[in-house]
Amino acid sequence: MKKCMECMKTRWNRFVALLKRHPPLQYVIFGGMLAIMGLGPYFGIIPVSTAMFGALITVMIWTVAALGINLLLGYGGLISLATAGFMGVGALGVGIFMTEYGWPFELAALMTLLISGALGLLIGIFSLKVSGIYLAIGTLFVGEILRRIFTNVPIFGGERINIGEITFLGRFTIDRNLPFQDFATGASQYERYWLYLILTVLMVLTMIVVHNIVKSSTGRAFMAMSRSENAAQSMGISIIKYRLIAFIVATMLATLGGIMYAIYFQNAPTEAWTLILSLMIIGAVVVGGLKSIFGTFLGAVIIHLVPNLYLRPLFGDVRSLFTGVLIIVVILFYPRGVVFVVTDLKKLWGKLKKRLQGRKETAHDEQS
Amino acid sequence: MSGALRSFDGVKRMNITNLLRVLFNSLNTGSVYALAALGIVLIFRTSRTTNFAQGSIGTLNAYVAGYLFMTFGWSIWVVALASMATAFVTGILIDVFVIRPAAKVNPISKQIITLGLIIVIVGAIPFIFGVDTYQLSRFFTTGAYTVAGATLRHNTIFVVLLSLFLMSAIFWFIQYTKWGLAIRVTASDETTSRLMGVPTKTVTMLSWATAAMLGTLAALIIAPQGSVNPNFMVDVQVNAFFAGVLGGFQTFYGAVIGAYIIAFARNFTNFYISDIWADVIVYSSILVFLYLKPFGLFGKKPIRKV
Amino acid sequence: MNSPKKPILELNKVTMRFGGLVAVDNLSFTVHEKEIVGLIGPNGAGKTTVFNCATQFYDDYEGDIRFYTEAGDSVDLRSKKVTEIAPLGISRTFQNIELVQDLSILDNVLIGAHYKFETGVFRHIFKTKKARDEEQVWKARAEEILKFMNIAHLKHFYVAGQPYGILKKIEIARAMMMNPRLIILDEPAAGLTDYETDELEKLVYRIRDEYNISILLIEHDMGFVMNICDRVCAINFGKYIAMDTPKNIQEHPEVKEAYLGSEA
Ligand SMILES: Nc1ncnc2c1ncn2[C@@H]1O[C@H](COP(=O)(O)OP(=O)(O)OP(=O)(O)O)[C@@H](O)[C@H]1O
Ligand SMILES: [Mg+2]
Repeated sequence: MKKCMECMKTRWNRFVALLKRHPPLQYVIFGGMLAIMGLGPYFGIIPVSTAMFGALITVMIWTVAALGINLLLGYGGLISLATAGFMGVGALGVGIFMTEYGWPFELAALMTLLISGALGLLIGIFSLKVSGIYLAIGTLFVGEILRRIFTNVPIFGGERINIGEITFLGRFTIDRNLPFQDFATGASQYERYWLYLILTVLMVLTMIVVHNIVKSSTGRAFMAMSRSENAAQSMGISIIKYRLIAFIVATMLATLGGIMYAIYFQNAPTEAWTLILSLMIIGAVVVGGLKSIFGTFLGAVIIHLVPNLYLRPLFGDVRSLFTGVLIIVVILFYPRGVVFVVTDLKKLWGKLKKRLQGRKETAHDEQS
Repeated sequence: MSGALRSFDGVKRMNITNLLRVLFNSLNTGSVYALAALGIVLIFRTSRTTNFAQGSIGTLNAYVAGYLFMTFGWSIWVVALASMATAFVTGILIDVFVIRPAAKVNPISKQIITLGLIIVIVGAIPFIFGVDTYQLSRFFTTGAYTVAGATLRHNTIFVVLLSLFLMSAIFWFIQYTKWGLAIRVTASDETTSRLMGVPTKTVTMLSWATAAMLGTLAALIIAPQGSVNPNFMVDVQVNAFFAGVLGGFQTFYGAVIGAYIIAFARNFTNFYISDIWADVIVYSSILVFLYLKPFGLFGKKPIRKV
Repeated sequence: MNSPKKPILELNKVTMRFGGLVAVDNLSFTVHEKEIVGLIGPNGAGKTTVFNCATQFYDDYEGDIRFYTEAGDSVDLRSKKVTEIAPLGISRTFQNIELVQDLSILDNVLIGAHYKFETGVFRHIFKTKKARDEEQVWKARAEEILKFMNIAHLKHFYVAGQPYGILKKIEIARAMMMNPRLIILDEPAAGLTDYETDELEKLVYRIRDEYNISILLIEHDMGFVMNICDRVCAINFGKYIAMDTPKNIQEHPEVKEAYLGSEA
């Protein structure tokens, strides 16, 4: 028995070492776990309801957009209030290119990403002149402009663009509107699960990309630029270049979030991309943990999944209230974010242990 | 209905009546933006942050007014006074419980806190006032002059005069009184001011209270054009901000001038160029302007320290 | 220092004004290769401003500042942007420590090699072999320099919470990463204990001798300046007073009056 414990322990250590050597593996494993959770509604064994399934979809969409904001805010010290606007660009862009122009999904998505990247570049250029607290207002303008274009301009056609079934890679057509189970035969219909899986893969890829960026000299340049502009410049770091990169990546990730929305829901609403949504995404980053990739996911869970699944039945729609209060409380009292609760608890435990041991030792000393 | 085409048809002539209509309308909305913007600048000067919740605070207290107005049928004047009182309290509570503890928080996080306040207020409203919307009446419901074919409501005249009076009073107060001096020195250097014996805490608290009242007044003026609902001030909030950046946050008059400029520009483009693209055009132009003059019409660039 | 002296940094009639205030006034002096030069003067004399002009944080100074490349070509620094100074071979530290608090010491030092990285954000995203190799190469160099500075054992700790002496060392280590030919140090000994100051003296010598780096430094600690500088330039109110060996500067009547006199 003891021997088995030992070998488990060495195995576990070896596994941890492997993760340390290949950090992206942790995101892949995480994605795998999510993929298994997504099977919940199909098999009774895993306690994941259809409501949870739906909430996880939104959490994944938010996480991708929020990772962009985390790069911008947590690492680059910059803010954007145009996140929702760019998510709208993603969903509506794909919608227009597919329905009006009849383009295949992949081309539509690529084009949308390129367009939003170009817009991100413009905002980046803008941020060079207008920084500090003025930047938030400048990006608020951008968000408002986008929102008004979506709601006023006739091409977006009223409330929503219906995209309908999407064909991936020109072969696989998935109709989301099929239920989880066929009522007649009781057989599982995996349509939505495939969409869920696509979203999971996209989110894991985003996590890896962001991880790679922040652990590289680009990531260090972001930190230097936001924490100490003077030192950064005297080390040859061009503030212009890294601001542009930060904004381009952040807008493209927000847009990818919007594209993920279009993939899963197979339609693109015109009125959903409000300032409040941008704030929710910032909330996810701030509450979950600035500069933390898993923290961002955790933040999205706290801000979307928890109030929708657990608080709503008890207290009604407390989503906004809950998020707003959490944002303020976390900034004031726990600015590193909820994800650090674990590390902090561990530290506390370590200290406690040390103190207890110290006491034991002194007790021993006194005895001897 | 295609607004873009309509203007090319030349239906909307550039005659004096239409121009006056646009102008009168802009005076009304301009005053609303100016009141809200003044509050934002006041807070910027004393708390070094941009208060994104200015509009939401106004919304919350407009709900108070709407509730009293519709439930008890009180006169709009009494209701307005009552909501001013609650606004005063709201401002103080926010300062004491949220802003003061955030004194050491970095500027961006401070901004995010005021953004958080928006969602707190938007989320709290249904719990306090239910999901119904409320109506508020104008201060003067009847009466109008006709100038060259365009109607000018008595209410508009009242609103503009009231706003101008309040703004002048605030300018005077800040420029010529002891408290005004306290506000100005708090704005330029809080720590030193405190050491010099200026009651910076009180100054900041009263700025929040005043700003909340200004925001609420703006809300009361704009409310009769629609209904009081959780989002009815978003437009005012956004435009008040844009007025602030247009005029520059360093001066009080800049924001007011910016507010009237934005109101006129929006109404003018909306009427003469395109109702679909109006805001897009106006906002994009301001963005370009901001790029060229990042600190606004009247602002100065701060000096860099190494 | 008896071989024919090659200049590395040359200030010629530099004047810098802030509004009505003349922070640097018609100042000229030269730093030679492999020399340790001190710039001294009372508080507010304009020393940091000289550094900021040289590194192009301010580019609206009058006069000119020249840098001599290894090949001996002279470069007018005014034609360079602030971010182009590092690639020329000049690096600096700051009077008010400018480090990234929430990054490890090793990563902070790596920032110093930033412009040496050939891979860009695309390679970083995909973590290509080239990106990985490059990171390894510079990490190794950073570790070597940290060892040189005697703080290798701390490399994985955050900067936040480190004592002042360590912070100063990290800044110098970061400045050395890019293999500069000239390092400009703004008050490296300020806030150090006597023991740390002695250690720093030795390090500065070794930086010059082992890495062939010229050094220009500002320091208020006279003992330190007199011990390690080959020559010292004294200024007051932005104006040149004298430049000579430490011994002669110490005895220079005007310097005594302006600087040492004001202290006594
Ligand atoms: N960015 C600036 N704007 C306006 N004045 C400045 C600026 N930087 C420095 N000064 C002024 O220029 C003068 C010289 O400043 P500087 O920082 O160069 O002095 P210093 O010799 O480095 O002093 P210390 O020993 O205290 O560091 C001072 O009077 C200072 O107030
Ligand atoms: Mg100095």
